[in-house]
Amino acid sequence: MKPASAPDLAGFDLASIPERIQSEVQRAIQRSIKGVEYISTSGPSLGSTPKDILSVRGTMNLYHYRPIADEIYRVPILIVMATTNRGYILDMVPGQSFIEFLLKRGYDVYMLDWSAPKPEEKNLRMEDYVLDFIPDCIRSVQRDSGEHDVTVIGYCFGGVLSLLYGSIFAGGPMKNLICFTTPIDFRGMKLFQNFSDRRYFDVDRLVDSIGNVPPEMILSSFEMLRPASRAASQVQLWENIWNDEFVKSYRMFDRWATDTLPLAGEYFRSITKDLMWDNKLFSDTMTVGGRKADIANIKVPILHAVAEHDHIVPYEAAKPLIEKIGSTDKEEVILKGGHVSLVAGPNAIRRLWPKLDSWLCERST
Amino acid sequence: MADKSNDPVALWQNMIGEMEKGFNAFANQAMGSPEFSKVVNQVGGATAGAQKQLSELMEKYLLSMNLPSRSQMVGMAERLQSIEGQLNEIKAMLHQMRGASASASSGYAPRPPRTKRPPPASGEPK
Repeated sequence: MKPASAPDLAGFDLASIPERIQSEVQRAIQRSIKGVEYISTSGPSLGSTPKDILSVRGTMNLYHYRPIADEIYRVPILIVMATTNRGYILDMVPGQSFIEFLLKRGYDVYMLDWSAPKPEEKNLRMEDYVLDFIPDCIRSVQRDSGEHDVTVIGYCFGGVLSLLYGSIFAGGPMKNLICFTTPIDFRGMKLFQNFSDRRYFDVDRLVDSIGNVPPEMILSSFEMLRPASRAASQVQLWENIWNDEFVKSYRMFDRWATDTLPLAGEYFRSITKDLMWDNKLFSDTMTVGGRKADIANIKVPILHAVAEHDHIVPYEAAKPLIEKIGSTDKEEVILKGGHVSLVAGPNAIRRLWPKLDSWLCERST
Repeated sequence: MADKSNDPVALWQNMIGEMEKGFNAFANQAMGSPEFSKVVNQVGGATAGAQKQLSELMEKYLLSMNLPSRSQMVGMAERLQSIEGQLNEIKAMLHQMRGASASASSGYAPRPPRTKRPPPASGEPK
């Protein structure tokens, strides 16, 4: 006599096997249909929150996002994006856009985003970014908003640029500083350290030969940190291609991750020599255009958000920021997630964004 | 509900995840060695050198074919960039003028007032 539930064979529930087979066959059919759809269509439209261009100068773009709240906080926000990547990671699609979140919460948001530097911009130096582009954007934000104070948010290397700016212009007008996954002790970025080992990596020869560092080189150095992950993510995509939400999310993040920017040659030379080799930001010896940039000079309130599983900026590289900065109102939050999921996607919506809002709202009046 | 530990699809997905982690860890260990840095940078340096020589050769070739050289194209790009820059300056000025006239005109919706206060402590997100 057959028991009510089919007997297990080596731990498998035999009764569920026909159901699983049927489900897998359906998914296989869906995969074929959706696979064709995937190839023949483009991904979702990204970075579509309405905005106005305030200023464009070579690689520098300053946007102002149109406020959507009836009442906004007094202090505007300037987001400084990393120079290796596009700013639309913070403005993916409605419902998953950090910018949209800030606008709905009543903030006035500006973004300093970067275009690919052109060959003739290969001579842009660190001082062009820190002493020219950022101050120029701050002035534009002040003029446009009519406010003197500005909150600066820097993501990854945008955080480094914001720190350098804040160290040199310690008297203001930066009122608050928020850094996302910002490295200051470059010894902590062990693989990047090894890739740029001064005994074998001739940065002068590279920059003198090719000018701007091509995006393919930047992308492959990121991908080398987790060499199996691209192949594994493609396997995951194929398994989940029947799932529209998964595919949408995959396409958004994949497009952003591969949309890497070249780096201006002289700027790359300075990053390699001053930061990767001599670790000057950590050792308080950094100068930009002859001006000392010591983060102990920064006294404004600071929030530093770091990710528990960040493979690009490991915690050892980011940790000393809060110890070394001169502010008394300072906080570090360690959140679950990686370098990108800290700031975008479902993890960020649950963790970082509400935390940032609760920290910033009382400092924005 | 099926036990995940006995589900072949879940087992397969788990295996892929473990393989990815294992390979990444192994590769990271290998890439952390000075030998790896030496080899990669030797290859990279040679490639950059070859690229430079090739571009010089191409420049001569284009000249002999009476085609614009890279430096001439870069010169044109610079001029275009300068024109773009001037157009953007005009756009930014127009934007500022529009903002100024909008605030002066009562018919145009002004920007929201900067009077927002933080929510009371009890209403703050946890």
